[in-house]
Amino acid sequence: MTIHLLLGLVLILFVFAAVRALAPSRALLAGTVLGIGALALLAVNYQALLSPEFWAGLIGFVAILSALMVVIHPNPMVSILFLIVNLFCIALFYLILRAEFLAVLQIIIYAGAIMVLFVFVVMLLNLKAEEGLRLGGGPQRWGALLLAVVFVLLMFHALHDRSDQPYVEPGAFESGFGSARALGGLLFSRYLVAFEAASLLLIAGMVGAVVVAKRKVG
Amino acid sequence: MDPDIARVLVESAVKIALFFFILLTVVAYMTLVERRVSAWIQDRQGPNRVGPLGLLQPLADGIKFLFKEEVTPPHVYRPVYLLAPMLIFVPALVTFSVIPIGPALELFGQRVRLQIADVDNGVLVILAFASMGVYGIALAGWSSSNKYSLMGALRSSAQLISYELAMGLSIVGVLMAAGSLRLNDIVQHQIEHGWNLIWQLPGFLIFLTAAFAETNRLPFDLPEAETELVAGYHTEYSGMRFSMFYMAEYANMVTASALAVTLYCGGYHVPGLHLLRLPEPAAALVQVLAFGLKVGFFLFLYVWVRWTLPRFRYDQLMNLGWKVLLPVAVLHILWVSFLVLMNWT
Repeated sequence: MTIHLLLGLVLILFVFAAVRALAPSRALLAGTVLGIGALALLAVNYQALLSPEFWAGLIGFVAILSALMVVIHPNPMVSILFLIVNLFCIALFYLILRAEFLAVLQIIIYAGAIMVLFVFVVMLLNLKAEEGLRLGGGPQRWGALLLAVVFVLLMFHALHDRSDQPYVEPGAFESGFGSARALGGLLFSRYLVAFEAASLLLIAGMVGAVVVAKRKVG
Repeated sequence: MDPDIARVLVESAVKIALFFFILLTVVAYMTLVERRVSAWIQDRQGPNRVGPLGLLQPLADGIKFLFKEEVTPPHVYRPVYLLAPMLIFVPALVTFSVIPIGPALELFGQRVRLQIADVDNGVLVILAFASMGVYGIALAGWSSSNKYSLMGALRSSAQLISYELAMGLSIVGVLMAAGSLRLNDIVQHQIEHGWNLIWQLPGFLIFLTAAFAETNRLPFDLPEAETELVAGYHTEYSGMRFSMFYMAEYANMVTASALAVTLYCGGYHVPGLHLLRLPEPAAALVQVLAFGLKVGFFLFLYVWVRWTLPRFRYDQLMNLGWKVLLPVAVLHILWVSFLVLMNWT
């Protein structure tokens, strides 16, 4: 039941993307019609609203939609905003998978710190909206469409096989899973070498950035 | 529907409505307090005409803002321009949801926490949503297509990023002492071992300074320095949208004060209250009032400092953040590690 609903929503998304690519001026009309279609689909499957699978699917839907908008929106600042929405969706995925600590870190580090630097760069460079941004002509357009169809079929195949398994196995996680304590314990015992190596890598990157910047100034 | 789920839903809805109402009322009356206290400091009268002691002034202001014409300048980037005031106001409200304003108590036959969400990573949730506030400011400045707005937004982003670091590091000390990221555990730790204010004074001072910078208040209000930047990032806003920025500033102040109380001043803890042997509801009421009083003190401190200190210069601001607060915060973590190792906290 749920899996059919999800496939329906994904299909709606791809129809929308195709309409947007092939006939940009009809996108608003297509969006309205498909939105009503999605609502009707939900109304028929209202029991699904209580299952975690449905919410995972809905968040995935928003994640895909926002990722798509990052690529196709002509204005770089709006692209950044959609990227932030996308990163929030990933944090919600972590929440569904019971990794609370990771979810909050995802928001602090990616949606908070890194994206602020993106905003900074766009503000400083004063990037203008790319007026003529659209998909390349002829062959590229049909190639993209072909790849999209292949991707939908692949997704259908992948999801179809897994339709009997629940998204989150109840009792699959030991108590305390995903807490700061459990994660810290793992980082400082089992994954200590990788953890320290990553910190060295970060320091090297930081020193490198300072050296490059200094050379430019003096 | 499952009766358990229904109960939780109703309880949450009531709490959210209550917290929302309290926060907005405090925000409205903070504007009046700010004007009255500034008048008192400068030996003036302040607004005292609308209602007794001017107590209805916030209401009059609200009505005025609602009926003002909202001018949208033709050169702005409209979608982002409309989004920015919401982006700055929502995080200010969300952060308040994890702060416990009182102890858990028996109400209508069940345990009720005086807190909307008792989250395991409460401190991190606050930091996460506090860092979202910068988007509202940056996008407001950028979408206004005005050089003064842009300058204000740039200054503000740089300032918020710089002081977030010092703030985070100063909080690390509190987390190490309590051994938990949950705000209730931190309050409980302070009830048992004394307020963090005593052992972690350097951390508290760093936190307070960073909180002033994070809320864009004097002496760190460079993003809206009116002598140089007109009004900074909200130059192009008018009517209710302008007042959203204003309300967000005060909501941020309330949350920052509540956080300072929770992390360093024992939260809702009243020393020696258990000696009085009050019945549970009365004790809870006293503790909630004590929490309000402590928050009130910090709010007064905000106003007091604003009308006492002059504004920092931009290089002074950056020097203070990176060359003073950050190293001191790291030293403070060393000091707390020492305390924890010696079992003194």
